[in-house]
Amino acid sequence: MIAQEQKPIEEILGYLEGKQKVVVMGCGGCATFYHTGDKKAVRDMGERLRKEGKEVTEIVLPLGISACEIDMSSKFLEKKRKAVENADALLMMSCGDGAQVIADYIEKRIGATVAVVPANDALGLVGGGPKKFKETCQMCGQCELGKTVGICPLTACGKGLMNGPCGGVREDGKCEVDPEKDCAWVKIYERMEKLGELDKFTEMRDPHAWSRAKRPRLFEIEEPVKPVSAILGSLPSYLTLFTGPKYEEEE
Amino acid sequence: MSDEVYSQLMKELSEGKYVFTGELEPEKAGDVEEPIKAARELVGLVTACNVTDNPQSFAYVSSLAAAYKIQLETGMECIYQLRCADRNRSALLSDILGAGVLGLKNILALTGDHVALGDTPDAKPVYDLDSTTLIALIRRVVDEGKDLAGNEIHNPPKLHVGAAAAPGAAVLKAEIAKVKRKIKVGAEFIQTQVVYKTEVLDRFFKELGKVDVPILVGIFPAKTYAQADFFDKYVAGVDVPPDYLQHMKETKAIKDKEKRKEEVDRVNIEFFTEFLEHLKDTPAAGCHIMAVGYPRIIPALKKVME
Repeated sequence: MIAQEQKPIEEILGYLEGKQKVVVMGCGGCATFYHTGDKKAVRDMGERLRKEGKEVTEIVLPLGISACEIDMSSKFLEKKRKAVENADALLMMSCGDGAQVIADYIEKRIGATVAVVPANDALGLVGGGPKKFKETCQMCGQCELGKTVGICPLTACGKGLMNGPCGGVREDGKCEVDPEKDCAWVKIYERMEKLGELDKFTEMRDPHAWSRAKRPRLFEIEEPVKPVSAILGSLPSYLTLFTGPKYEEEE
Repeated sequence: MSDEVYSQLMKELSEGKYVFTGELEPEKAGDVEEPIKAARELVGLVTACNVTDNPQSFAYVSSLAAAYKIQLETGMECIYQLRCADRNRSALLSDILGAGVLGLKNILALTGDHVALGDTPDAKPVYDLDSTTLIALIRRVVDEGKDLAGNEIHNPPKLHVGAAAAPGAAVLKAEIAKVKRKIKVGAEFIQTQVVYKTEVLDRFFKELGKVDVPILVGIFPAKTYAQADFFDKYVAGVDVPPDYLQHMKETKAIKDKEKRKEEVDRVNIEFFTEFLEHLKDTPAAGCHIMAVGYPRIIPALKKVME
């Protein structure tokens, strides 16, 4: 999921200066998990902006409906089409992806040009939870995990080295940049040692091929998923959520 | 890798001569007067000098420009330090070729401290290559006349490449494996991080075992207590013995400047005589004296090794 946090309200108000009619739109995907674009966050933001004297329209996306999935999110946007057409700004409570997908839709499909303003800062693709999350993949386009026993050094190493550790490892095996974080290369060494694959460690790994990360990347699939039937078809599987063992998060 | 020798440093090392190298630091300035002055003081005392590349990620005069000027104006052979922190593989290649054009003969290939620790923390860290792949690039350029993408290089430069090692690394076994990796891809000499404790050095050499490249052990006779304290507190993998630290601290109380200098020298000579005597019993091929602006201490250190 895309970790995110809300920007300081002063920054948001700065972007909205001189914008009277504001649409506040949330996101039912990651932003709902991080409370930066769920129903409550949208309502709270609406209230805050009304206190500033603004005319606010709120658009809430239910859990599972991400702003970035435009075939679904556009339906909720269309319900408030009038307000969107007349808005001076749309405050997007999602990651930058959601914000730009929505802005694009408004411009191309609604035919209005509205200033789309971010309410959040996206902090990376993270996993874990339910409380603590960690960035482990940067979607580089050329996965290196096969060379590094399943730990991505481009992401987990503060310097993104393919041949670490650097000389900055701390006494306790923590990172030079941040004493809270483990040195990825010490972790890789230890795992290789357990697997009896230390010969791999002393082999040089080639520099990463960044040519797969030419931005912006475009992507196309032949058969798009049909969201409603996919959700309905999966319903029985969701039972596992209720029958599986309880997950206790490590402290 | 060919056996050809292009530099005085490699000549002396290959002849088995005990080699001393020094260190010069370009500054945040529009000139290199200070390192040139320091280089002049080191001529005749050391075989070559490292010219640092944005140490601790503080952005200074380019080490390429500084090394060229220093070598040109003082005749001091330079070991051009090159970090991966600030340049991608294209920029590194350009600088390697530039070094050849400017008559530099030795490069020390470094990963480099993270930019977030320096004086421009919002800079984008690069690390497109790391020390290992930078060594591989230099070897490929020099030995095969090609870059990493396989592009031909006309009239490739003749350069030697060295690597760093951290004997005091917190996770020594991983560091040792990395040093071996750097030797495997073609490092021709090693200069270590500063070591103060002989037991740290002994453990390093024992774990490393026999290797085919000369190793110069990094030492730092501190000119002031603050320098020694800085190493102890802030430099990863460097432990300063409490006795030495205490003796240096006591010199602070001496009011007379000349007497204080004498006492600092005495503390250093006493400490490093013992250290260097110990060094004689290790496989070290030389000594990299990293103390900047403290040339007067060098003759006494060299005397120990005679």
